[in-house]
Amino acid sequence: MLFSDYPFLLVFLPAAIVIYRLADPHPRWRIAVLLLLSFVFYGYWNPPSVVLLAASIVMNWLAMLAYQRTKWPAVVTAMIVIDLLVLGVFKYANFFVYNLGVALDRPMPQLDIVLPLGISFFTFHHIMYLADLRRGKAPSCSLGRYALYIAFFPQAIAGPLARWSQVMHQFGRRVYSPGWQRQFCIGISFIAIGLFEKILLGDRIGRLLDPIYAQADRGQVLNGDSWLALVFNIQILFDFAGYSDIAIGLGLLFGVQLPFNFNAPFRSTSIQDFWQRWHMTLMLFLRDYVFHPLANARIVPRRFRLLQYFGAMLLTMTLCGLWHGASWSFVLWGILHGGALVGCSLWRRHGPRLPPLIGWALTVVFVLLTGVIFRAATLDAAWNVFCGLAIPPTLDRGKHLVPVVVVPLIAFLLPASQDIVARLTARPRPLLAGLLGIGMLALLLEIGDRELHEFIYFQF
Amino acid sequence: MSSSISSSDISRSDAAWGRCLAAFLGALGIGALLILVLMVLVDPYDSGQFGLLGIEGVVDQNATTADASRARDPRFDSAIFGNSTGQLLDPADLSPATGKHFVQLVAPGADPRGQLAILDFFIRHHPHIGALVVVTDELWCSHNPAPLPANLFPFWLYDGSKLDYARHLFSWRALDHAFQRITIGLGSRKRMAPDGFWSYEEVWPPGGKHPAVTTPPQQPPFAGQVSDVFPIETLLEGAIKKLPAEVAVVLLVPPTFFTIIPQPGSLAAAEHEACNKAFRSIVAGRPHSNFIDYRIDNALSRDPANFVDLIHYRAKIAQKIDQGVIASFAFGNAAKIDF
Repeated sequence: MLFSDYPFLLVFLPAAIVIYRLADPHPRWRIAVLLLLSFVFYGYWNPPSVVLLAASIVMNWLAMLAYQRTKWPAVVTAMIVIDLLVLGVFKYANFFVYNLGVALDRPMPQLDIVLPLGISFFTFHHIMYLADLRRGKAPSCSLGRYALYIAFFPQAIAGPLARWSQVMHQFGRRVYSPGWQRQFCIGISFIAIGLFEKILLGDRIGRLLDPIYAQADRGQVLNGDSWLALVFNIQILFDFAGYSDIAIGLGLLFGVQLPFNFNAPFRSTSIQDFWQRWHMTLMLFLRDYVFHPLANARIVPRRFRLLQYFGAMLLTMTLCGLWHGASWSFVLWGILHGGALVGCSLWRRHGPRLPPLIGWALTVVFVLLTGVIFRAATLDAAWNVFCGLAIPPTLDRGKHLVPVVVVPLIAFLLPASQDIVARLTARPRPLLAGLLGIGMLALLLEIGDRELHEFIYFQF
Repeated sequence: MSSSISSSDISRSDAAWGRCLAAFLGALGIGALLILVLMVLVDPYDSGQFGLLGIEGVVDQNATTADASRARDPRFDSAIFGNSTGQLLDPADLSPATGKHFVQLVAPGADPRGQLAILDFFIRHHPHIGALVVVTDELWCSHNPAPLPANLFPFWLYDGSKLDYARHLFSWRALDHAFQRITIGLGSRKRMAPDGFWSYEEVWPPGGKHPAVTTPPQQPPFAGQVSDVFPIETLLEGAIKKLPAEVAVVLLVPPTFFTIIPQPGSLAAAEHEACNKAFRSIVAGRPHSNFIDYRIDNALSRDPANFVDLIHYRAKIAQKIDQGVIASFAFGNAAKIDF
């Protein structure tokens, strides 16, 4: 069930709102009902995968109980290792087996494994809670509350990666209390903007780019199409930012404020700035649970600490790349971004100050170029796109190329969606709300016109 | 005192936000209701499911959706099915020569399952059927029963479910069709040709586009057995078997440019012959019916001037096929096929 498809928007969501409205006056029912709705949502994609999600929740919660009783850090460490192993088996087993075959120069059988939806995200949610539990920051909680933290349907499949401290206390609160109407208006605005980003911006670019990358996978890219392929990162911005905005809006309809995930990243003036604005919840996770432990561990003598710091930065971004998918192109993408972050950090220490416009241009060019590696199915396909840049772009497709110009301009010029929503909902304006209703109707008609692109981040 | 002012402020604010919610939901709900009413009144694809205004015909360049209107037109009792490789068969040639009333129901780009859906729709809407022509290209001979990937054929338009049909009317495309049908109803626009004939030679006139003459690579000899199970062809067999015996049926394999014709003795030739055998068995014993294989290497299929590309032939060949179909309806499998 996609957030941008009729089964969700016209059936599941209205039904979920009505059911939760009935449960809202009864405090004991709130978490249970929301949890049930979340499992229905998750199971719609693949019912058996609910078992994996439920087992994962129960095991991690039992580990939490065991730690509370024994205070043995090994319990938490073991559970985190198990979580990572499960993720590793589902996501990386075939990648490992394939590369083992290459190393041994003999063909290896591929395993028939279906990647459970959202496993990368719910694994990270487990890790955030357990790591903070071991640090003495996270409190113990009931099974229901913990299960909802992991499975809450607006965030379960592709984030935002909310900290337990950001959302857990919000579960079970009364939604229909004074002020709920405003919350709903804000939530609906986020959903409308998210659908606009996904359907009218992201998908529109996707339809232009898909055949180009398919061609790159087969061989040479002709007619200057490689220049169009460069805008993939703009597509993924609107695809994923759209998803995140819908998730945030949905959260508000059920009384939960989820963290923001994007902050106009294509207005960044450096690569460091970019990573503070792009997929922010993942970067905060990587910073706090990967980078800081690596950078602060006493591994090397004091005089090499800077080297360790940069090494940690590079390794964190490499893991970030690998997290996105089991492929060497993702690893290379991560290394390039890690290297750029190190380079940017060194430049800040030792280089002259760059004018913001030059910093912006360099950042955008770097992000768009590395985006090709991220999108291409293989390194060979990425190389084909880069080779195709030698051919100048042709403009004979006329109006079909408008999205390639207009959509990046929107990415460069408009503020973050949370700022737009804040402006739209600064005070109640029924006329504007009516127009938003007509806009939503137009988006629903647009959905009816086409086969939908799945959200890109579902594969991670 | 201040507390009571504050709480009244809050309730006033809540009421104002509540009006915003009502405005949003009202605009959305009323808009959706108006669209639903429009669709029920107009029936944008003229499928016969709705359409209280009784407007006849469509203005739709896309044959895949326009066929719904044509297929239920009571003026026709006979039809031509296939994809774009059957598009040049002309009802205006077939109808006078056979005494039947033919409509063109090919669906360019549709795979055989889509073509079968249109065939089924036509049969459901005609208590009396005269004759059928089915153009069966290579896709019918697949051994793979799975549907083709990314099959965007509008099955919802032909499967007869009102609910499924209504669900697909909520789109800009359906709205566009609805407004076009309103203009037909108002008389400011003419409906498209009811018999559905359109020649792609309007886009690629004779003497223009043609396939390149290349020497096809030598196909290795094959002496083994090929499977005679053709799941999609079996579906056609099932549909034809349900028809009364007096319904004449001509199945034909469309001609292709010689470079892609299976070479004698090759695996492709063995597959082709096995598939032809299955086609023959479908019409065997049915009066005034025939199977014709036009995919043969001869002077006509070797002349690039007779083709637009490797699979789309020009009018000169289409007329030969029309004559073959007419002869088949007259003499069944004893017809003399001039090709």
